[in-house]
Amino acid sequence: MVKDMAKDEDKDLKDDLFELFCFMLSSARGLMDEPKVYGPFRIVDSVSRLISILEKHQLADDFLVREKKKIEEGKYSVMDGEDKFREFLDGLMVDFAEELKKR
Amino acid sequence: MSSIFDVIKKRRSIRRFQRKTVEDEKIRQILNAAIWAPSAGNLQPWVFIAVREQKSIEKIKVMSPGIFDIPAAIIVVCRDMKIAEKAGNPELSIFDIAMASQNMLLMAYELGLGSCPVKSFNQKAIQVLLDLPEHIAPELLVTLGYPAEEPSPRERRDEVIFFEKYG
Repeated sequence: MVKDMAKDEDKDLKDDLFELFCFMLSSARGLMDEPKVYGPFRIVDSVSRLISILEKHQLADDFLVREKKKIEEGKYSVMDGEDKFREFLDGLMVDFAEELKKR
Repeated sequence: MSSIFDVIKKRRSIRRFQRKTVEDEKIRQILNAAIWAPSAGNLQPWVFIAVREQKSIEKIKVMSPGIFDIPAAIIVVCRDMKIAEKAGNPELSIFDIAMASQNMLLMAYELGLGSCPVKSFNQKAIQVLLDLPEHIAPELLVTLGYPAEEPSPRERRDEVIFFEKYG
C-alpha cells in the first residue's frame, strides 16, 4: 500500500514535470516570433511553475514559497513597460543573491 | 441593456477566472456573435471550436504560455485555409477572424463573462490535441469564464486620431 502510494506520487510528479516541459517547449517555439520581453517573462513564469510543483510535492522551502508569491504578484508588470519589469526582476535577483549567500 | 460603446469601453482582458461553469447557452450566444462578423467577400473563412471539458482545457493550457489560469471554456478560432484561399490573398482572412474574435469578446462582456484573446500558444500542438486537419489552422484562443479579477482600464493614446489629414 505504501509502495503504491509512493508510485502514485512519483507518477504525479512526473506528470507535473511533463506539463512544465510542454509549457517550456511551447514557450521556446513561441518566442521565435514574440516580442523580446516575453523571453524573460516566460523564464520567470517557468520558475514560478517549477516552485509550484515543488510546493505540491512538499519539496519547496519557505524562501521559495515566498518568492513564488512575489513572482505571481509582480510578473504582470511586464505589461507596464520594460522599466517596471526590469525593476521587478532586479528585486528577485537581490532576494536570490541574499539567499545564496546564506546557503 | 448596455450601449455598444459602454461594452467596448468596459471590456477588459481577464486572465483570472472563478471556478464556475459557463452555461452552454452563453457559449452558443458568443459563437453566434462570432459568425455575424463581416468577412471579405462574405467567405466566412472561420471555424470555431468550443472546448469545455476540463481535461482538454488543461492540455491546451500547458501548450499555451499565454494562458495563466484555467478558464471555464476556450474558443479555438481557426482559419479554414481552403476557404481563405478563395479570396485570392489568403492572408486577408486574418482580418476576418480578428473581427469575429472581437465580436466574441464584446458579447462575453455583455453576458457577464471575462475573456482574453491569446496568441501565445503552439499551433502544431493544438492541431494535434484537437484532431484538426491540415487546412484548419488555429490562429487565436479566446479564454472564457466568470472573472476573478477587475483590472483597471489602461491608458489610451488619443493622439492617434486625426481628421482629414495626418498631423
